[in-house]
Amino acid sequence: MTAATATATHVAPPRSFATAVHHTLRLTQRSVLGRLRQPAALAPSFIFPLFFAALGSASFQRMSKLPDFPASSFLNYTAAGAIVQGVLFAATSSAGDLATDIEQGFFERLLVSPVTRTAIVIGRLGSAMVVAITQVFVFLGIFLAFGARIETGVVGFIGLTVSGALLALAMSGLMSGIAIRSGSPEVVQGSFPMVFALLFLSSSFFPRQYMTGWYKTVASWNPMSHVVEGMQGFMNQPLDIDQFLRAWLIPLGIATVSIMFGLRALANRLAAQ
Amino acid sequence: MNTSIVNDAPRSATGREHGGHPLSVSGALVRRTLLRVRRMPAAFVPSIVMPVFQLIAFSGAFGAAVRLAGVKNAMDWYVPLNAVQGASFGAMGVSFGLINDMQTGFFDRLLMAPTKRWALIVGPMAGSIARAALPVALVIVIGFLGGMNVPGGPLAIFYVAVAATGIALVASAFALGLTYRMRNMGAATLTQFAIFFTIFLSTSQVPLSNMAGWLHAVARVNPMTNVLRLARQGLLGDITWNDTWGGLLAIAVMLFVSCWFALSGLKSLEK
Repeated sequence: MTAATATATHVAPPRSFATAVHHTLRLTQRSVLGRLRQPAALAPSFIFPLFFAALGSASFQRMSKLPDFPASSFLNYTAAGAIVQGVLFAATSSAGDLATDIEQGFFERLLVSPVTRTAIVIGRLGSAMVVAITQVFVFLGIFLAFGARIETGVVGFIGLTVSGALLALAMSGLMSGIAIRSGSPEVVQGSFPMVFALLFLSSSFFPRQYMTGWYKTVASWNPMSHVVEGMQGFMNQPLDIDQFLRAWLIPLGIATVSIMFGLRALANRLAAQ
Repeated sequence: MNTSIVNDAPRSATGREHGGHPLSVSGALVRRTLLRVRRMPAAFVPSIVMPVFQLIAFSGAFGAAVRLAGVKNAMDWYVPLNAVQGASFGAMGVSFGLINDMQTGFFDRLLMAPTKRWALIVGPMAGSIARAALPVALVIVIGFLGGMNVPGGPLAIFYVAVAATGIALVASAFALGLTYRMRNMGAATLTQFAIFFTIFLSTSQVPLSNMAGWLHAVARVNPMTNVLRLARQGLLGDITWNDTWGGLLAIAVMLFVSCWFALSGLKSLEK
C-alpha cells in the first residue's frame, strides 16, 4: 500500500464544489448498491425492528388501555421505536462496510484517485440516509396496513422521514469515525452493544412514565429517549413545535458532532500515511 | 488433547482399534471447549454481558407490564428468561468451535478417531453446559441484588438451573446438527435466529393471559412456554408438580429431537 499512498500524496484533489457534490453522489450510489447486493446484511435492520414491534404490540396491548398511556394503541406507540431501531442497526452495518473497504484496500484505491476526501465519508453517510428513508417508508407502510395512524398526517410523515434520515446521519457519522480510526469491521461490530444500550436504556420500547428508579433516570438523560418521544409525538399527538425540536434538532446536533469526528478521523488517517 | 484422541487408542490382539472410552473422549472435548474460552475470552464475553444487560433492560423497561400482570418484582419474571437465554448462547460457541475445527481439519482427525460417534456430540453439548454456568450464575446473582423473590426456596433456583441446563443442551445439539449440515458460519447465525425466535415467541415478556391475538396462539403451543413456567414457578409462588412436569417433558422431547438431528447430521457429514 505504501507505494499507492506515496502516489496519493502527489494527486491534488479537485476543489470545485460541484465536483465534490458529484463525487459524493457517486460514492453514495456505490454504497447504496453495495448494500442492496448484500440483502443478508441489510435484512436484520428490517426484520428485527418489525419483529419486536409485533411482539410488543401483542404482549403489551393491555398497557395501552391505561388512562395515561401516550398512544391509542401499542402498535401506534411502538412505530417510532421500530424506526429508530432499524436506523441504528443499518447505520452500524453501513459503517461495517466502510471498515471492510479499508481492510480490503478499496479505501486506499479511493485515496490514490482524484476523489474529494470529504466525499469518501459524506458519500457513506448519504447512503445511510437513503437506507433510513427507505426504512421509514417500509415501516410506516407496514404499520399503517396493520391499523396504525399518524395523528399529524402528511406533516408527521415528513417529520418522521426527516428525523429518521438525520438520525442515520448522526449514527453513521459516529460509526464511520470508529471505522476509519480502527479500519476493522470487528471493532465496528464490537461497538454494537453501545448502540444496543442507547436503544434499550431509553423510551424506545416503553413509555418513560412507567419506568422507576435509576432506570428512569438513565432513560431521562438518554438523548435517544427525547428523539424517539419527538417521533412518537408525530404518531400520536396533535402537531406541536416540541416534536420538531426533539425529533430534528437533537439528531442534527449529534450529526454535526459525529460528522466532525468522522472527518477528523479521516484527516488523522491521511496524516498518519 | 487433539492428538491423544487419535493416537492413544489401545489395540487388541487382533490389531483392531477399540479407541478411548467415549466418555473420556467427551471429557477431552469439554476441556477443549474451556480451553477455547480461555484462549479467546473476547468471544465469550458477549455471552456473559448480553443476558445481564437484557435482564437489567427488560426489568427496567417492561417492569410495569409484568407488575400489572400481578408479578411482585420484575426480576422474578425476567431472571429465568435471561438465565435460559444466557444458557442458550453457549450453542453459538459450539457452532463457531465446530466450524473452526472443520476449517482447520481437526474435525477430520476426530472423525478418524476410533471412538463412538455419540462421544463427538456429547462432548460439545457438555461443553455448552460449562460455558452456560457463569452467565446463568451471574444472572441469578443480579436477580438477588435486584430484590428477586424466592417463595419456592432453594428448589426455585434448582429449577432455574434445570431449565437453563436443558436449554443449553437442546440448543447445542441443534447447533451441532445445523453446523454438520451447512458447514459454514451461516449455521451459527441460523442457530441464533432459531433460539431467539423460539424464546421470544413464548411467555418471554408477559404471561399468556396478558397476550393478544397471534402471539397468544403461538406461545400456547411453544414448548418454551412450559420450560419458562418450570423455571419461574419457584420465583412467583410455590413449586407444584403441575408447573413442573410440562417443562421437564418439553425439555426431554426437544432434547430427543435435537440429539437425533445432531446424530443424523453427523452421519450425513460422514457420507
